[in-house]
Amino acid sequence: MTLTLLDELLLFSGVTVLVAMLLGRRLPAGWMVTILYGIQLLALMKMAPLGYGGEPISSALTFEVMGQTLSWRFDALSWYFALITLGSALLSSWYACGEWEQRFRQSGGNLWLFHLAMTLNVFSMLILLASGDLLSLFIGWELVSWAGFLLMAMAGGVATKAAMRYITYAMAGAMAIFGGIALVYVSAGSLQYEAILTAASQMSTAHLWMLVILFGAGFGIKMGLMPFHLWQAPAYAETPGPGSAFLGAISSRMGLFAILLVLVKLFGIVNIDSLKIPFTLIDARDLLAWIAVFTIIFPTFTAMKQNDARQLLAWHGIGQGGYMLLGLVVADAMGAAGGLLHVFNHATYQAALFMAVTAVIHRTGTADLNKLGGLVVRMPLTFMVLLVGIIGLAGLPPMNGFVSKWLVYRSLLNEGMPLLFVAAVIGTLGTILSVYKLIHNIFLGQLRIEHDNVKEAPWSMMIPMLILAAIIFITGLLPGIPLAWVASVQQAVGLPVSDYTLGGVESASGSLDMIWVIGVLFAGFGIGALIFYFAGGRSKRVHQLDNYAGGHFLTADVRYQYSDNFYAGLMHLIGGWYRGSFLWLEQSVKSLVEFLSLGMQGLYRRANAEFYLLSTALFVIAWVVI
Amino acid sequence: MSSIKQIPVITERKGNPLARVFDEFVRFCRSRSLFILHYCTGCGAIELPPAMTSRFDMERLGIQPMVSPRQADILLITGYVSIKTLKRVILTYEQMGSPKYVIGICSCTVNGGMYWQSYATAKKLDEYMPVDLYIAGCMPRPEAVLAGLQKLMDRIHSGEANSWEDYFRNYDYYLGNQQKLFGENWQTPTDIITEAKHYDLIDEGTFGKHTQLLEQHQKPLEALDMRLGHDLKEPTE
Amino acid sequence: MAPMELIIELLLMPLVAFVVGMMMVLMMRRIAAKLQRRIGPPFFQPLYDIVKLHSKQTQISHGLIHDIGIVMAMGGYIAAETLLPVPGMTGIAEKGGIITLLYLMMIPSLGLALGVGQCANPNGSIGIARALTAMLAYDIPLVIVIFGVAYAAGTTNLVDIIAVQQAGGFETWGAVQMPVLAIAGLIAMHASLGKQPFEIYIAPAEIATGPMVEMSGKYLGGLFVMQCFQLYTTSVLYVSLFLGGGTTWFDFLLKSFLVLAIPVSIAYLFPRYRTEDLLRLMWKWPVMLGLIGVAFVL
Repeated sequence: MTLTLLDELLLFSGVTVLVAMLLGRRLPAGWMVTILYGIQLLALMKMAPLGYGGEPISSALTFEVMGQTLSWRFDALSWYFALITLGSALLSSWYACGEWEQRFRQSGGNLWLFHLAMTLNVFSMLILLASGDLLSLFIGWELVSWAGFLLMAMAGGVATKAAMRYITYAMAGAMAIFGGIALVYVSAGSLQYEAILTAASQMSTAHLWMLVILFGAGFGIKMGLMPFHLWQAPAYAETPGPGSAFLGAISSRMGLFAILLVLVKLFGIVNIDSLKIPFTLIDARDLLAWIAVFTIIFPTFTAMKQNDARQLLAWHGIGQGGYMLLGLVVADAMGAAGGLLHVFNHATYQAALFMAVTAVIHRTGTADLNKLGGLVVRMPLTFMVLLVGIIGLAGLPPMNGFVSKWLVYRSLLNEGMPLLFVAAVIGTLGTILSVYKLIHNIFLGQLRIEHDNVKEAPWSMMIPMLILAAIIFITGLLPGIPLAWVASVQQAVGLPVSDYTLGGVESASGSLDMIWVIGVLFAGFGIGALIFYFAGGRSKRVHQLDNYAGGHFLTADVRYQYSDNFYAGLMHLIGGWYRGSFLWLEQSVKSLVEFLSLGMQGLYRRANAEFYLLSTALFVIAWVVI
Repeated sequence: MSSIKQIPVITERKGNPLARVFDEFVRFCRSRSLFILHYCTGCGAIELPPAMTSRFDMERLGIQPMVSPRQADILLITGYVSIKTLKRVILTYEQMGSPKYVIGICSCTVNGGMYWQSYATAKKLDEYMPVDLYIAGCMPRPEAVLAGLQKLMDRIHSGEANSWEDYFRNYDYYLGNQQKLFGENWQTPTDIITEAKHYDLIDEGTFGKHTQLLEQHQKPLEALDMRLGHDLKEPTE
Repeated sequence: MAPMELIIELLLMPLVAFVVGMMMVLMMRRIAAKLQRRIGPPFFQPLYDIVKLHSKQTQISHGLIHDIGIVMAMGGYIAAETLLPVPGMTGIAEKGGIITLLYLMMIPSLGLALGVGQCANPNGSIGIARALTAMLAYDIPLVIVIFGVAYAAGTTNLVDIIAVQQAGGFETWGAVQMPVLAIAGLIAMHASLGKQPFEIYIAPAEIATGPMVEMSGKYLGGLFVMQCFQLYTTSVLYVSLFLGGGTTWFDFLLKSFLVLAIPVSIAYLFPRYRTEDLLRLMWKWPVMLGLIGVAFVL
């Protein structure tokens, strides 16, 4: 048996888990693990031809279980997601090394468990990404769910509660997926992708509907799609800093990967398109698109109301997932490219944002947006990273988020979907509002006295953040780099491929060239700077208390800052629209289950053994007689 | 004190005629674009709306009202200045960007007017800040206000209206008068001394015993500079 | 296109925008004066103001971000102008298209928002919060309108959108083809100018001019320059979308000034809405009109 490139990668990943488990109690464990992630990334790089239309690489390892062949292989899709996974794992793990680790240990955190959970997450994700049939997909899926649970639950307290909520959802999702797989097995007779591909074209509408619902719900739970999104924000926000950066960057995208694999590649978006909902004008694809759009809007506007920086970011993580799904559901060349590109872009800026917020927590001890302010003069580099990140998150030029969102908008425009288009833009505008609140309340405004001696984050945390910021900018300037990988992914899952260039997209109906746009933007800034610095007199830096307050004398002991209820006017109008309906729904399901179990429990407790014996005997007699 | 003792000397840039033309142009623009901050302390304020609106229309002279001291060129004090108010007036004046001009409207700003006997009123405004122009009257009509403003415009154009420099150059004198009124602990959140240093406006009168007194108790008001702070010591926990 | 020619275009387009923008500021102030039965400022007043503000000898800064905010406010618009075709010059309009332009137009306000944030003045922060809320209000009808126009023209390239409208003379103008959208666009454009009754984020008597509260000297001067660009960009964008752009400079400028005169004349007749009323108004009428207009187009 010769080891293929994929085997090497999985082997390295497994070794990383072992190292973290066995040697993880020693101090340099973080560095060792980080270096091992680097080696995994190198192993992945050896498979780089996959990202440029290379042939799939399969693993030498196959199993035969109950007549089913279990196999693993990597194609462009797996490679693309694995690249993001390993990249974010490497940077978050790097970020965790050094000072953060020490502080974590001092405050009673279990560092061994943290590294182990991270390595397990990466390993299980790679296994999932490498799955070569539905059965191995399911195995990988379960592994990912439990590994994620481990990382989320390790902080204890609120985090465990959130993680329990997550695993409840995840198990429900797994059941749905299992049901779907069973249905597929019944109709196709096999769980191999090739067999399903042929079977999918002959499935009846009802059958296909059932599968779309089961798989959509199962994978949608991991992605945090609309009715199933409640678990995600608290679970991610309560994970220890670098862990939330990693989870926020990639974890939910496993759901998108599975959706791509099963719904798009195997069932085909055209088949799904033919599923009409009776008595309405919409079909299953529209349904998915609208779910995506609601996933954009509602979590984004929930994020706006958060007063905790990590919660705010985690809610945005849900919302941005909607853009990816939306682009994929539109499924023309540009939309699919936008959706897929957004996976990469989102991973970069979300990791950077979580890291920046964790750096602020590291220095000030809080992420409460009402207890910070003015930190730009004390943590300028973190500010810069956060700024780059929020520009990416809001999808504005010159950062990478703009390109992917632009592609999604263009596809909606090309396909003539005004409502979806407007809804997507509403999501973007809501994002702009809430990220301004984020940066304003942490870094702008008045510096509190107690933060006067705050230092910039240590270099061990700063360097990964700066690397991410650089990636965000460079892939915004040269979107052609990730678009090449995206194009081969599109080819691999059978979607049309867009005509990309190094600077953007070429199209007869309006193209985008980010090199020009950014070049002109910075030239504009340059001219603006020339006018500002040379056409006017000198200015003098003044203390923040030298400020207009209608003639009032400001003193340091009285806060002169606006942070709470930041969008008061907006909330006057839409504040009443936050009804917490989904929370209510979740609660009602929960209490229903509680009620039923209470009834069962009562029955079980009240009755004695004789009663059970008697009734069983009666049943047996009745069965025999009849 | 103001500029009475000093004979105004207009220094023109010699040599480069283009620079002279440029200076002339800038002075002209300054005189034709005046943003007023009206500090409506007293009854004189009522004369300003007619001066601004359709009857007299200040805007045709390029004069328009502004809201915050940062934006304004002219501080218009319209009436008596009580001691409490004076603190705010001084802060407001110090927050304005130079070149800045002070106009005292109504007799009260000149000599206390009908509040001459009041213990709580500052009598002469120019003891506390350099005043460019008084428009006397109780109250002056809008015509008088506009005539005064036009006079100020002429002085700005000719370069004579530079009494704002006097506040920096003779800061000790003004600060002394302020301390006499408000006590020794008097301090505004603005920092005139570092500002004078920053813009190179220091003269003999800038420092003196009053500024010494100020520096003794002054809480530090240096700008919060951006810093990484990696060289700082670890805060004790 | 020869690179030299392109560079000249790229420099000339913002310059033209600035000069025309100053005249638009003048027109706005003159219209306000006429409505209030005043004479109004002299012809060069906008220039005097800008020169005076830049020639202030002392001014305060609250830090580097405060400075950068102003640079971004000016620079963002300078960049945006090169994406906005004018008669004889297209700049890099073909490389970005209208969606990019729309987003580039947000950069100045967001740069300004950063700068204002560092001023540590709650008036400014409230102003920015309101400005962003206003953006949320008027951008929704605006994107509906832009969607309609771009979909009808089959392209997001502004040069092509203008060419389509000029193809058949007056009859193929956007405003004639899509009158409902044109009306919705006009309302959204009015709100985006931030003039009464939509000037919730300036609100001098309430939050002391909001974002401008700590701006002195060249900082305020930068904002005055930005206002020139803003008026120009808004009206020229409307002209390009609905009034067939311009074939010659004369009709181009005529249309731009006329378009701008409509909201400006309305503005000075009204007091100010509250934030939630602005939202309610913007999300009701122009959105409704816009959706009807888009329904016609589809």
